[in-house]
Amino acid sequence: MAQPLDSSQPRLAAGCRWGGTEQDRMILFPEGAIKLQGPGRRILERCDGTRTFGEILAELHKEFVSTDPAKIRTDIATFLEQLQKKRIVDY
Amino acid sequence: MVSNPLALIAELTHRCPLHCVYCSNPMQMASAADELSTEQWAGVLQQAGELGMLHAHFTGGEPLARGDLTELIAAARTSGLYTNLITSGIGLNESRLQALADAGLDHIQVSFQDSREEAANWIAGAKSHAHKVELSRAIRQHRIAFTVNLVVHRQNLDHLEEMVAFIEQLNPDRVEIAHTQYYGWALANRAALLPTQAQLDKAVAIVADAERRLAGRMRIDFVVPDYYAKYPKACMGGWGRRLMLINPAGKALPCHAAEVLPGMAFENVREKSLAWIWQESASFQHFRGEAWMPEPCRSCERRGEDFGGCRCQAFLLTRDANATDPACSLAPDHSIVQAAVRDANRSSGVAQVQAASSFVQLQNVNEGLWRYRTNPE
Repeated sequence: MAQPLDSSQPRLAAGCRWGGTEQDRMILFPEGAIKLQGPGRRILERCDGTRTFGEILAELHKEFVSTDPAKIRTDIATFLEQLQKKRIVDY
Repeated sequence: MVSNPLALIAELTHRCPLHCVYCSNPMQMASAADELSTEQWAGVLQQAGELGMLHAHFTGGEPLARGDLTELIAAARTSGLYTNLITSGIGLNESRLQALADAGLDHIQVSFQDSREEAANWIAGAKSHAHKVELSRAIRQHRIAFTVNLVVHRQNLDHLEEMVAFIEQLNPDRVEIAHTQYYGWALANRAALLPTQAQLDKAVAIVADAERRLAGRMRIDFVVPDYYAKYPKACMGGWGRRLMLINPAGKALPCHAAEVLPGMAFENVREKSLAWIWQESASFQHFRGEAWMPEPCRSCERRGEDFGGCRCQAFLLTRDANATDPACSLAPDHSIVQAAVRDANRSSGVAQVQAASSFVQLQNVNEGLWRYRTNPE
């Protein structure tokens, strides 16, 4: 498997869901939980199975205007690929 | 201040339709009459949520033997817990699966004994394999995480490649390939279950290859048998550190096998709250931290990683619950484990798969090879 394409529609994998409180949001999955803050949370909240990877990138470019778009793309693609290997995200 | 436990292991019943020869349940089992009621379990789950636990793992015996399982899954979800059902699948049909999904079941783990039907039924002491295959297809119709648990040992490791290919067809998100751990029935049957070094080396290579091939599609967790490891396993992530197990009769245990430990009294959720048991009880504090540790653990740089290994295994093998786990290569009693490994490697022989028309017959034809798990009175 590889990194997401612009047309990929990432979403949480079966049996993975949001939990915790509004201040302390986390993703619950079979082996444990990951607390998500800042960019990680903003990325995963957009992985709803509807938005494409390209759309998610465009939205995050607007939020992080001072960051190099190429770096945003690489970082997010790597982040999602890691979560896909753990079977937390599908695309 | 003790940090909160992460997960509750709810051992709902010791009743089980399978008789697996490596079952980790205690040989002294709780009877159906001693089991907690639905309301008592619901109270336990609510307290678990309030204590900040994240996951509830429903296990047994066979949790489906409880007619109220759907209610308990719903109670766990209401308490904010992530729900995991660890099951043989026997007692689960499509309508009951639908009810569990509707109640909020997040994750299901189905155990497989082998890829070959006759061998699987021989290990389980029950005709269960075909149903599990059927059930796996039904599970994939739901948005529930699906894990296959494959228990491996001397009798099936020689065809691990075939078993991995079989599991691929079931299309789970995860597969846990776990070697038998030697407690309860498995310890009594160790001679027939402990693999050879050659079997283990081959298995490691096969798993590494499958991990590469299946990355992104299926996650593989491979648990190496601690008898062949250099250091012991961090049993339960440390005593009273992460997990609390409630047994069918309501006893709170820091580890599945803890009741074998002599001179220890475990609290019951009928009398005490989970918070009190976690924070105050003598049993949960007994091996928590490092004060109890003997040398070489006390000064070992790995003491914060493996916590001296498993207390129950230490007791079962050395008769001293305070000893360093003999699975550790640094343990004074490591020779006990070495002797078992030496015996296992004297030959590469495996037994002949036996079929029989009834469980009583199966027990008789395999007498001398192993003892099947039986059910509580």
